[in-house]
Amino acid sequence: MARAIVNADLCQGHTLCNMAAPDIFHLRDEDGHAFVAIDGELTPEQLGQARMAELGCPERAITVEE
Amino acid sequence: MATDDRVVVEFDQHSPEYRETYPAQAHELREQCPVAWSSNHDGFWVVTGHEVLSAISKRTDLLSNDHDPAGERNGYQGISIPERGTSRGGFIEMDPPEQSEYRRILNPFLSPAAVKVWDPFIEDFTRACIDDVIESGRLDFVDDFANIVPAVLTMAMLGLPLADWEIYCEPAHMQVYTAPDSPNWDRMVDATMRMVGRLAEYVQIRKTEPRPGMISALLNAKVTDEFLPDDGIIGTVTLLIGGGFDTTTSLLAGALDWLDARPDERPRLVDDSRYLDLATEEFLRHFTPAQGGGRTITQDCEVAGFEFSAGDRMFLSYAMCNHDPASFPEPDDIVLDRFPNPHAAFGLGVHRCIGSNLARLDFKYMLREALRRMPDYRIDHAGKEQYESIGTINGFKHLPATFTPGRREGPPLAEVMADWQARLDAEPAPENLRATEGV
Repeated sequence: MARAIVNADLCQGHTLCNMAAPDIFHLRDEDGHAFVAIDGELTPEQLGQARMAELGCPERAITVEE
Repeated sequence: MATDDRVVVEFDQHSPEYRETYPAQAHELREQCPVAWSSNHDGFWVVTGHEVLSAISKRTDLLSNDHDPAGERNGYQGISIPERGTSRGGFIEMDPPEQSEYRRILNPFLSPAAVKVWDPFIEDFTRACIDDVIESGRLDFVDDFANIVPAVLTMAMLGLPLADWEIYCEPAHMQVYTAPDSPNWDRMVDATMRMVGRLAEYVQIRKTEPRPGMISALLNAKVTDEFLPDDGIIGTVTLLIGGGFDTTTSLLAGALDWLDARPDERPRLVDDSRYLDLATEEFLRHFTPAQGGGRTITQDCEVAGFEFSAGDRMFLSYAMCNHDPASFPEPDDIVLDRFPNPHAAFGLGVHRCIGSNLARLDFKYMLREALRRMPDYRIDHAGKEQYESIGTINGFKHLPATFTPGRREGPPLAEVMADWQARLDAEPAPENLRATEGV
């Protein structure tokens, strides 16, 4: 099952994942740290976007599993 | 010093050589070693490799930001190399968990959701700054534009009188551009002391006259049942002024200077917000306004194959790591739609710039408006003046330009300032928990 995971211990709120894939990665109101807003499996299009977010994360806090 | 096989390099981030050759010097250093030793400023490691930076920045167990000039804890020298100041510079010179508490209090003012409420403020001040020069056909992008909006916004968010931005402007910039060996060093120290003194007075005033904003939030906050100490709050307010005044300013100046020779790039930045988003990250990566941060190693250790000793000083050069070709192909070219772009311009790890969301918002609006209303501007290179040291902040003192005059779109800056002050004054004051509890 394709899914994206944000490691909350590594995320520091750079917000670049939200810029790359705004439908998948949402930002907490209180500090801008990211969480995955998709419940369940990513569509092939979302998977591509999630991969881009993974590559663009300065903290390498995102993993995408297939 | 545990290792005898360290690679020794000649490096000083405050030197004219660094300023003149940035970013090229990064490659020379990195090729010698991505973690090398400079004997300047009593000796420090300089990190120029992006991969090593990523690994080491996470290690809060090994790196300390602490600044303890009085020698009460460890005697560490904080985030400036060489050491600067006789007191701690707010939460950036603290380690978790103390540092995390300050950020927990301030994050709700600076998250992406929170900063959006300042959109109309940024719009009004940006418009007014441009209006005040638009009919003349000339401006200084630093003095008349980039210095003003971020500074006034910082005043508003702290809950300080807006017009006071001018009092803090010169010391805030001086403290970042004055090189340690500059004849102006003592003058900078005096100006900084006066600034801190005035801010300290305002912290006292806010104890009896709370206003919406970060100062009152710090005064009302408690950590394990105790209010925060005055010196921690004063240091933090001084930090927020420095961060708020000088970094967005420098990014704007860098971008506008680069776009001088590239008028063809301007229209798309105005019209295509997705492109502007990517370009903003690329300007951040290339110019890296906050060039790096000093740390102290807390114990003998090995990280990413390098050995360090307790007490060693280290300069994390975000700027030079942002030009590492292993992570950023063609690193010295500005590729406006570069992606991915996992740059370290806001730092990495728990000390990520707390104002990053505000900086992006402010920068994008100001750049777009500058390009929309002065589309044919040309920099007057004879009047352009870079900071004497770019080792702390990579910015400009002056960036004059000329353009085809245009028409005003609204009232002048002085009027906008008075209107916004009245609006902010009309907001209800927050609770005064210290008064309630008789502290």
